[in-house]
Amino acid sequence: MKSLHPLTWWIWSLLIVGAVIATNSAWVAGFAIAVAAISVHQFAEDAPWAKSFWFSLRLGAIILVIRTVIGVLIGVPIPGTALFSIPILPLPSWIAGIRIGGVVTQERLLSSIHEGLIIIAVICLFGAAVSLTSPHKLLRVTPVVIYEFGVATVIATSALPQLVQSIGRIRRARTLRGDENPSWRSIAIPLLEDSLSRSLELAAAMDSRGYGVSRKRSRYRPIAWQQIDSIVLASGLFAFALALVAR
Amino acid sequence: MIKFSNVSLIYPTSTKTILEDLSFSIVEGELVLVIGSTGTGKTSLLQLINGLVPHHTGGILAGDITVDGISTKLVRPGELAHLVGIVGQNPAQGFVTDTVEEELAFGMEALNLAPDLMRKRVEEILDLLALAHLRNRAISTLSGGEQQRVAIGSALVMHPKVLVLDEPTSALDPIAAEEVLSILHRLVHDLSLTVVIAEHRLERVIGFADRIIHISGDGNAKIDLPEIILKDANIAPPIVHLARALGLSDVGLNVRDVRRMTEKIREIGKEVDNVLPTLGAERILAKDLTIKYGSSVVLKSLSVTVRAGEIVALMGRNGAGKSSLLTALVGLQKPTSGTSHICGTASTYLKGKVRRETVGFIPQEPSDLLYGQSVVGECQQGDKDNKIAPGTTFALLQRIVPSIGPDTHPSDLSEGQRLALALAIVLSAQPQVLILDEPTRGLDYQSKALLVALLRNFSKELGRCVLIATHDVELVAELADRVIFLADGEIVADGPTLDILLSSPAFAPQVAKVMSPRRWLTVADVIAAMEA
Repeated sequence: MKSLHPLTWWIWSLLIVGAVIATNSAWVAGFAIAVAAISVHQFAEDAPWAKSFWFSLRLGAIILVIRTVIGVLIGVPIPGTALFSIPILPLPSWIAGIRIGGVVTQERLLSSIHEGLIIIAVICLFGAAVSLTSPHKLLRVTPVVIYEFGVATVIATSALPQLVQSIGRIRRARTLRGDENPSWRSIAIPLLEDSLSRSLELAAAMDSRGYGVSRKRSRYRPIAWQQIDSIVLASGLFAFALALVAR
Repeated sequence: MIKFSNVSLIYPTSTKTILEDLSFSIVEGELVLVIGSTGTGKTSLLQLINGLVPHHTGGILAGDITVDGISTKLVRPGELAHLVGIVGQNPAQGFVTDTVEEELAFGMEALNLAPDLMRKRVEEILDLLALAHLRNRAISTLSGGEQQRVAIGSALVMHPKVLVLDEPTSALDPIAAEEVLSILHRLVHDLSLTVVIAEHRLERVIGFADRIIHISGDGNAKIDLPEIILKDANIAPPIVHLARALGLSDVGLNVRDVRRMTEKIREIGKEVDNVLPTLGAERILAKDLTIKYGSSVVLKSLSVTVRAGEIVALMGRNGAGKSSLLTALVGLQKPTSGTSHICGTASTYLKGKVRRETVGFIPQEPSDLLYGQSVVGECQQGDKDNKIAPGTTFALLQRIVPSIGPDTHPSDLSEGQRLALALAIVLSAQPQVLILDEPTRGLDYQSKALLVALLRNFSKELGRCVLIATHDVELVAELADRVIFLADGEIVADGPTLDILLSSPAFAPQVAKVMSPRRWLTVADVIAAMEA
């Protein structure tokens, strides 16, 4: 299949994010994640950045767990069916209104998971857009005006794909050095460092090739808007409209 | 065309001056070669020409640089894009698109050239650099040499007046390197293109250079004719070392000149005997390896045996399947069919400590092995992994490169220092088998000599086996016992170094070309033959 227009999946993702936020329903969020997963599985090319979605899914899961734990422990109590109770941590009187521990109600737990799922959906849809679009192609269609922000634009669009590639690179290095299960802590900083420096190198390369110098860009092979782009976009629009109506 | 007036450069985080009060000018249509040891600032000098230094890297610049009358201080690198084409040391990190054609067109699109003009120029470049059959390929699937040609093409396609190349031949096989250099030579002469090249493998480029800039590392630099610079420079190609060793009055820069000077020497002197090493048990044993990517077959039912105490070089043109063979041998990639065993264990099953003690692999990018935040941190990780006394790995590293700073970040090291670090980490586990992919990329002659001594010691004293994939014929001549020659995924020749290297002129080292038909490969061989 010929690859789609680089903006198609981005606009589609934004529309679905809009739909998820508009309905504010955990079911819709879960459904959106599933649809994104199927799209990535079906349409992603065999490229290094295609793994971004699965990375964002994992990241989302971690965020959900942390959020739920903190949401249950700290905050204003919500009345309802009590599930279990944990001891209340005594706090000085000047931070009244905040409570750590206490009775955990079903409502409290559900609202934490509910909000978490919506956040995951947003992250995953962003990941799906990154997975389905070549970062290089995306840069080619961004308006030159945006390049006024220069390096920042390049980093913004290429950081996640670079991060995912760096994970692969570092994992390979550890395998070669006979250390198959490294701790996250030992690779987190080199990972960020590596992906950021590669994004910077990309920015330098684009700069020395004249990117952003001329206000107008010509096209060697025009990136055409095909029928399939319209279909994908229409499906996104339909979902968004449905969400607005159903609200 | 390029004018440096009293240029000094210093990076804020370092106390060392990179360049000090440098003034020279390069006229139109000149091919200038920049030489210097690793880490002396060749890359900085090149990036000053299009303004990447200091615009992208930071650093304090004094003095002024003008290119075709435009001061690089005043404009962004992008505004020089039509004037200066630059090809970095590592082209893979400089690609900004996904396919070959798009990459070639990118710069022209950015400058808003008309589509039909772009088409014409892209076709020209595809033909000129023999890339036409790769036009629709994804760049990430190309071999190192092909990527290098794409990078050169995407700079040339802009029709720049100045072309700046940082080690353009380091990833190329001897034949491809010759082709690229003769294209540059032609452009210099036909179109009066100005070319600035930094290169370590002088034997490849010296014949094309009009002048040489020699950076000595203490901030000083000399610019002069090749004959004068090479007369007493510590960096010199084998052919110059030969002239010095034989006490010739003149320094010849090409094979023809030196052949004329050494006619008598070729008549006297004894043949050197082909000393075959004493071989131990089989260490690497691969049988019927086949690797396919989609429909393309990279390795065709290939079998290799390497024994203990042996140093084997794997040679072949770009894209012949060398790197694929190595990754299959170390077990990073599962072959489509066939088996690969190292010391009796299937290589994909090697894990943890056993892997470290069985096989050490240094990939083409040594930095792929490194993920620590400082040199000393990497070394400590090596000590910890192998449960050896703290400091052992760092001591080993200091034996290879004494000047290395313990707190330096690995990405700030020069190419050669990075290789040394990776090598120290791998060697700290004392593996039975050491496999290196293109280890001399970015290494100067001095570091190369150190590498040769280290590997020879490792193999011969400890009875370990070493397998090297390389394009560097001079390294092979100095180091290898046996050469395996790959072409199109098959072994086409396998035999003692002397026989294989002398059988084709393209892959013969410089000394052998001078001394042909005598069977001497290196300066040491010639001296030994004279003394015998």
